[in-house]
Amino acid sequence: MGRSHLGEFEELVLLTVGVLYDDAYAVAITKEIANQSGRSVAVSAVHKSLYRLEEKGMLKSRLGEAESKRGGKRKRLFNITPFGKKAIDESMDLRVHLRNQISDLAFNWQAD
Amino acid sequence: MSKNHKVPAVPHAFFKWYCKRDRYEELHGDLEEFFYENITERGLLRARLYYLSDIIRCCQPYAWKKPKVYSNAHIIMIRNYFKTALRSALRNPLSSFINVFGLSVAIGICLVVYAFMKNDADIDRFHEHKDKVFLTTFYADRNGDLDQYGATPAPLAKMLEQDQPHIEKVGRLKNSNVVVKYGDHVFYELLKSVDPEFLEMLTFPLKWGDPGSLKDLNSVILSENASVKYFGDKNPLGEEILIKYNSGEKKFFKVTGVAKAFPDARIIDFNFLVNFENVWLADPAFDSRDWRDYVGATLIQLDDPAAIDDVKAGMEKYRELQNPVGSDWAIASFDFHSIHNLHYSSADIINGISNDTTSAGRLVLPIIGLFMLALACFNYINMAIGSAAKRLKEIGVRKVIGANKGRVVVQFLAENIFMTFFALLIGIILSVTLFLPWFGGISDMQMDLSLMDANLWVFLISLLLVTGIISGAYPAFYIARFQAVKIFKGSTRFGKKNPLTKVFLAFQLILACITITGAVTFTQNTQYQSERSWGYNQEETLYATVTNGQAHDQLAAVMSQNPDIVSMAGTTHHLGRGYSQAIVQLPERKYEVIEMYVSPQYFETMGLPLKHGRTFEQTPLSDQQALVVNETFVRRLGLSEPVDHIVNIDSTRYQIIGVVKDAHAYNFGNPIRPTIYRVALKDNYYFLTMQARPGKQIEVLNDMKEEWLKLFPEEPLLGGLQEDVWTGYFERVDSYERFNKAIAMVAVLLAGLGLYGLVSLNVSGRIREFSIRKVLGASRKHIASNIARQYTVLTIIALLIGAPVSYMLVEAELNLLFVYALPMNFYGVIMALLVLVSVLIFVIGTRVFKVSRANPVNGLRTE
Repeated sequence: MGRSHLGEFEELVLLTVGVLYDDAYAVAITKEIANQSGRSVAVSAVHKSLYRLEEKGMLKSRLGEAESKRGGKRKRLFNITPFGKKAIDESMDLRVHLRNQISDLAFNWQAD
Repeated sequence: MSKNHKVPAVPHAFFKWYCKRDRYEELHGDLEEFFYENITERGLLRARLYYLSDIIRCCQPYAWKKPKVYSNAHIIMIRNYFKTALRSALRNPLSSFINVFGLSVAIGICLVVYAFMKNDADIDRFHEHKDKVFLTTFYADRNGDLDQYGATPAPLAKMLEQDQPHIEKVGRLKNSNVVVKYGDHVFYELLKSVDPEFLEMLTFPLKWGDPGSLKDLNSVILSENASVKYFGDKNPLGEEILIKYNSGEKKFFKVTGVAKAFPDARIIDFNFLVNFENVWLADPAFDSRDWRDYVGATLIQLDDPAAIDDVKAGMEKYRELQNPVGSDWAIASFDFHSIHNLHYSSADIINGISNDTTSAGRLVLPIIGLFMLALACFNYINMAIGSAAKRLKEIGVRKVIGANKGRVVVQFLAENIFMTFFALLIGIILSVTLFLPWFGGISDMQMDLSLMDANLWVFLISLLLVTGIISGAYPAFYIARFQAVKIFKGSTRFGKKNPLTKVFLAFQLILACITITGAVTFTQNTQYQSERSWGYNQEETLYATVTNGQAHDQLAAVMSQNPDIVSMAGTTHHLGRGYSQAIVQLPERKYEVIEMYVSPQYFETMGLPLKHGRTFEQTPLSDQQALVVNETFVRRLGLSEPVDHIVNIDSTRYQIIGVVKDAHAYNFGNPIRPTIYRVALKDNYYFLTMQARPGKQIEVLNDMKEEWLKLFPEEPLLGGLQEDVWTGYFERVDSYERFNKAIAMVAVLLAGLGLYGLVSLNVSGRIREFSIRKVLGASRKHIASNIARQYTVLTIIALLIGAPVSYMLVEAELNLLFVYALPMNFYGVIMALLVLVSVLIFVIGTRVFKVSRANPVNGLRTE
C-alpha cells in the first residue's frame, strides 16, 4: 500500500461514510459534506475519492436496490473496513497528539 | 419529481462512450438523481447545465474504459502486417511498381481533372454580389428555332428599375469598336460603355483610382493589361487618351481607374470602360427608348436572389410592349441568369457577355478521369488476386493462429490503403510537376492546385478511401473466405482461372481501344480541318482594314504598283472579318441572313466560284437592287429557280442575279449560314482585299506593311494573310488532337502495364509446369502457344466489343466538338486493334523468350 495516509478530502469522505452508516452512497455523501462543511462539493470528486479509498482497502462496497428516483438504477453503498477505521483513528490521534504539544505560549498574542 | 424529462441526449451519449461498462449504472444513477432533483429545485435549464458540467467533470480516469489497443498483442500484430506487406511488395518489385505507378498516374490525372473543374466552377465567382446580379436574356425565333439571346432591347433596363421594387440597380452595357491613341501607341480596341452601377454590381477590384469616377462622362477605367500596354508600369491616373469611334467622332477621356489583374477564372472582363451616355458618339441614331435598339447586356441586381421569380412573373408586360414595335423579332419570353451560374449556360446564349463550352463538353474531362482511375483499379485488382496466390500460406498461418475473417479483410484493406496513400503522394508530385503544366499547355489554361483549398483535401481523402477500398475490397473479401485447411492441403487454387480477372483485362483492353481510336481519329481530323476547303482561295489572298473609302483609294493606288498582285477589291464586309445581318422577307416567312456589301471584283479576288447567273456589273451604281446569294441561301429558302427570283428586304424589292459557292464567313466551328452579297458604295470600303501571284503572298504582305507605314503612320495595320484569320480556331483543333493523344498514351501505358504484370504473374506461377514441359521436350513454339492461348480468346472478345464501341463513342465526340467533323472512318479502330495486338504479342513474346532461355532445373527448384 503505497500511500496509506489520507488526503484532507479523502478523510472527510471516509468520515462521512461512517456517519451515514448503511446509506452511504455518492449522492448522500456529497450532500452531507456540503451540509456539514458548508462548501460546495462536486459529485465527481466524491466518486474519485470513494473509488480510491476502496482501492486502498479502507472502504468496501455492495450494490443496493434500484430506485425510480435514479432512473431505475442501483446505487453503490459503501462501508468502512477495519483498516479504514484504523486509518481514521491514526489520523485523529496524530492531530490530537500534535494539538496537545502546542504550548499555550503560542496562543498568547496579547504580549506583542 | 418529473419523469417527463429525460436527461439530455448528447452529453448522455458522451458519458456512455467514455464510461466503463461496470461502473456506468452506479455513476449515471448518481448523476440522474442529481438531475431530477435539480429540475424540481432549480428548473429544467439549470438542471441540464449542471448535468452537462457533471458529465464533463466525471470524465476522469476512474470512469474511463480501458482502451483496447493498448494490449501488446495488437501492436505486434500491426507491426507484423507492415512487415509482411513490405516484404511481399519487395518480393515482387515489378508488380508493386506497376500497381503503385499505375495508381499514381491515374490519381495524377484525376487531380488535373479536379483542377480543371475547380477552375471551371470558379468562373466569375469573385464578384461580391454574384448571387444577386442577373443577366437578362430573351427567347425569340429568328432562324426557325427558338434561341436565347443575351443582347436585350435598350429601354428594358430603365423600365425594370422603375417598375420592380426588388431591383436595386440596373446596369446596361454596349460594345463599340474604337481606335485608342496615346502618344505613339495606337491600337484597335473594344470599348464597353456601361452605366456607373456596372462596377458596383460586378465588383472588379481596382488597383488605382475609384470605381465611382465612372459617373463622369469624361472618365475611362482601364484593365491592367490595357494600362501596361499603353503606359507601361507607371500609374496612368490623370493621363488623357484619345478614342476615335467608327462614326468618325473623337473624344479625349481621362484615366480615372485601373483594375487589378483579373483572376484567371473569369469570362466577363473589359479593357476600356466609359460611361454609358457616350454610346451616342459611336451610334448617333441610338435611342435608348426605342424597342428596336439593343444594348449588349442588361444586368439587374436584386435585394434578394429569391425575388427573381417575382421579377420573371412581371416580364409579360414588356413582351407586350416589345412585340408590336419590334415585330421583326417578337420576343417569346424573358429569362434571367445569375452571374454565379451564368458560365454554365452561356454556351446557349447568343450574343451574351460571356462565352463558354457547352455543358456536354464539361462532361468529357470527368469521364476521362474516371476511365483512368478505373483502368488503374482494374490493374490493381488483377495484380492483387495474382499475388494473393503467392501469399496463400501466409493467410493460412494467420487463420490457424486465430485471425478471423474480419482480421484478414482489415489487414488486406489497410495494406491497400497504405499503398494507395503512397500512390497518392507520387500522384500529387506527378500532377504538379508534370501533368498540370502538360495539360495546361495543351489547353492554354493557367492552372494551379492551391494546397490551401479545403475542398482539395476532401477530394484527396475521398479519392484515397474510394480508390483504396474499391481496388482492395474484392481481393480482401475473396482471400478472407479461404479455409486454412484447404490452403495447406493445396486444394485451394486460384488466381489462374479467375473469371473476374479476365473480365477486368477485357475491360482495360476496351478502354485502351477507345482512347487509341480517339487519338488517331482526332489526328486525322486536324489534317482534315486544315485541308477543308474554305470555299474560296484563302492561300493567296491578303486583306487590310482601312478607315474609310478615301484611305482605301490611297492604299489601293500604291498597291496597284505591285506586279505580284493579280486582283484587288474594296469591300465593306469581308469573309472571316465581318458581316452584318439582314432580314429577307418571303411571302410565307422571314429569314435572318448574313449580309455582305462587296465590290464587283470581290468574287474574283477571293476566288469565290460562281455557280449560276452572273456577278455584279463593273459600272458604278449599277446593280443596286441586285443580290448574289450563296448555295445555303438557295437551299434554306427552298428556291428551285434562284436566278431572277425577287425577294424583299426592308420592303424593297431585290432581284437575285447569281449564286456563288458556299464559303465560310466564320470558322469551321460554325455552320455556313444563308448569305447575300450586295454592291458596296465606294465611300463605305473598310477592307482592301488582294490576290497575290501564287507563292508571292509574303512579298506582297511585306510590301503592304511598308506602304502602310508610309501612308498611315498613326494607324495600326489590321490585316495580313487571309489564311491567318482563324489562327485561334486551328490552334484549338490542334489542342484537341494533342489532348486525345496524351490521354491515349496514358491509357495504353496503363493497359500495357496491367497486361504485362498479369502475364508475368501467370507465367511465374506456372514456372514448374513449363520447366517440366521443357524437360519433356516442348519447343519454344509449344510454350508460346500455351501461354498465348488463354489470352487470345480474351483479346478477340475484348476487341470485338471494343471496336464498335470506340467507333460510336469517338464519332459522337467528334460531332459534339465540330460542326464540320471528319466523316468517321475505320482507320482509328484498325490502328487501335493493331496497337493492342502488338502490345499483347510483345508482352507475351518477352515472357516466352525468358522462359525458353531459362534453365528448367532452376524452374523446378523454386518453391
